[in-house]
Amino acid sequence: MDFELNPEDKAFQKEIREFLDKECNEHVVAEVDSMLGEGPYSKELLRKMGARKLLTPTWPLEYGGRAMGHMAESIKVDEITLHHAPFPLDGVEIGNSLLMVGNEEQKKRFLPGIAKGEIEFALGYSEPNAGSDVASVQLRSVEDGDHFILNGQKIYNTEAHFSDYHWLLTRSDPNAVKKHRGLTLFMVDLKSPGITIRPLITMAGLRTNEVFYEDVKVPKANMVGEKNGGWAVLMSALYGGGGGGSLSSGTKKVIDTLVKYVLTEKRDTEDNEWIPDAMAELYIKTQVGELMGLRATGFADLKVMPLYGGGGAASRLLGGDTRRLLYKTAMQILGPYGQLAKDSKWAQLHGEILREYMDAPRWTIVHGSQEIQKLNIATRSLGLPRK
Amino acid sequence: MDPRLSEEQEILQKSAHDFLAEKCPKSLVRELEKDKKGYSPQLWKEVADLGWIGLAFPEKYGGSGMSFLDLAILLEEMGKACFPGPFFSTVVVGGLPILDAGSEEQKQKYLPQITSGKAIFALALTEASGKYEARSIKTRATADKNGYIINGTKLFIPDAYVADYFLCVARTDDKVKKPEDGISVFIVDAKSPGIKITVLDTIARDKQCEVVFDQVKVPRENILGKLNQRWSEIQKTIERAAIAKCCEMVGGMQAVLDMTVAYVKERVQFDSPIGVFQAVQHHCVNMLVDTEGSRAAAYDAAWRVSTGRPYSDEAAVTKAWVSDAYYRVVTAGTQAHGGVAIIEDHDMPLYYRRAKAAELAFGDARFHRKTVARKMGFKSA
Repeated sequence: MDFELNPEDKAFQKEIREFLDKECNEHVVAEVDSMLGEGPYSKELLRKMGARKLLTPTWPLEYGGRAMGHMAESIKVDEITLHHAPFPLDGVEIGNSLLMVGNEEQKKRFLPGIAKGEIEFALGYSEPNAGSDVASVQLRSVEDGDHFILNGQKIYNTEAHFSDYHWLLTRSDPNAVKKHRGLTLFMVDLKSPGITIRPLITMAGLRTNEVFYEDVKVPKANMVGEKNGGWAVLMSALYGGGGGGSLSSGTKKVIDTLVKYVLTEKRDTEDNEWIPDAMAELYIKTQVGELMGLRATGFADLKVMPLYGGGGAASRLLGGDTRRLLYKTAMQILGPYGQLAKDSKWAQLHGEILREYMDAPRWTIVHGSQEIQKLNIATRSLGLPRK
Repeated sequence: MDPRLSEEQEILQKSAHDFLAEKCPKSLVRELEKDKKGYSPQLWKEVADLGWIGLAFPEKYGGSGMSFLDLAILLEEMGKACFPGPFFSTVVVGGLPILDAGSEEQKQKYLPQITSGKAIFALALTEASGKYEARSIKTRATADKNGYIINGTKLFIPDAYVADYFLCVARTDDKVKKPEDGISVFIVDAKSPGIKITVLDTIARDKQCEVVFDQVKVPRENILGKLNQRWSEIQKTIERAAIAKCCEMVGGMQAVLDMTVAYVKERVQFDSPIGVFQAVQHHCVNMLVDTEGSRAAAYDAAWRVSTGRPYSDEAAVTKAWVSDAYYRVVTAGTQAHGGVAIIEDHDMPLYYRRAKAAELAFGDARFHRKTVARKMGFKSA
């Protein structure tokens, strides 16, 4: 047993941290914190990261990766979060899936571009009537010669307005006996005629989108996997990544900031006697989640599957809870000042806590709500019966 | 990062599991709860012969020279089995402090008795406040021409009734500025005149005792380590014991989780196993999150002890988390079982009761959160 990072992972951590310390400048941070999507500064930074092979460390060398383990992916995600750098998660997740189920031509066409930070993907799963029950998607794909014709609507496709491609789950067989057997997955050029993208703004000010398809043509060469085999592709994208998200440097930095704030601005006084215990609880929860994630990532890298799955999915659940608790506690510490908008002269800690507080509920919903994650853990890891 | 057990550790884990399944059934656990000694001398001898008591001690003292992490894995299995007896007292808070701080003469004298299973130790630390803090130590050891005379009352001392020796923590100097100063540890023969032991009837029926020291004479050579300088060493013992206790608790949590998952797969209500219901599934998943989180924290901390890294912060984080998590796991497990698990002869109450006792041992969650808060910079904590 060994809880230290391997030397090569440590070296990667140092490299990406030093790079982002230098390159993730205030313009990038402003774009990222605006929550409106990648602007020119973010795109430039992603290309620079791509040029140094910092975006896709787990991928094979031939596609622009470093052939490292899942721990390197966790480190990358951690450093991006810590630095408020742009988050090319979807492209990498899709690339992981293409590596498993894409054909050679697709791998050559897309993977190097994703690795270089030149191709960005948006996920296209949810629809107004297909959220957690994603197999119910209705956006229709109809085969027509050497292409398919697409009609329907997607929702909550957060990267759609600045991405190049849509990773689109469609209904190809409306008569399939089991609904998840009638799905097909495509990579659609978002500049295709017939696509309309409309913004949806969350309560935190984050831009996500509705995407409408009207007689959109997509070449067959952009179909991933088999026709009506979209479910397997979806599963490879959702569960193929292994590690990721196990480190918590970003959260620990926020905790540090809050502790300093309490000690200097609010004082460590009797009025605030609840704060030390609450902050300790936050730190402990963060630390436990990190250790659980590290262990799970370690198991994944060694290709060992321990009893009940080793805690990877469980650590993500805890992480979502911790994030909510972090900003709930932070807002309680700020008291009435917490409700002030960023530009108020009375705003504390640059008014950043409010934005994160408003954004925190998103994290227990996106990428599979906690309830769906629990359903998966219950049936996949604990082996409980399905209904 | 390598979370795997070594091959030797896997063998130890499996052999401990198999041995305890055979020799320590829940019927024995219940029987020994009612027994005043609280342990089976027969089982104790077998455990000693297997080398478990001496596991973490050097070979020259009759041990096997294995690591604290190996011991942690054994404790996890003992936690699963609700192993009764003075193992923890004798090994973790008896022998290990002597190994740390004892003179060579003391080690030669006491450690072979421990590793062979001949002597049982108990740590006479806590007093009326029940707290693991220096300022709670009121018991006094006064020097006289032959040694020291101890007076005071120790409370919540596990296994004192069957102990052959105590490590007794006492004040040896009153003229000090800080409560941490002027404290010493004595190795006390439990048969010394003036010691009165009363077994307390506790939630886990784990033979915690009141120990009254009334004019108890101890020779000078029985001071463990240095006179008046022992709180930092006691602190270390408490932190290491907290980590070891968490490993034991993780075993208990795993047993409760396993028992619950098995039950909800089989128990049929509304024409299907109750494990299909989302409310029940959420209980089980929450239990998994708590159990895996606790194991990750406890293993990390035990690994740090084993490899000579600092472990003070990790002890506090781990004991704070695991103390609360075990309660959540055992209550969720009980809820998933329904009525059957609140009947006294079900196994669940064994864990429910032990979860509380373990939560209190070596500092509860609030105590350790205070420590974490102080380390974060809060002076009021």
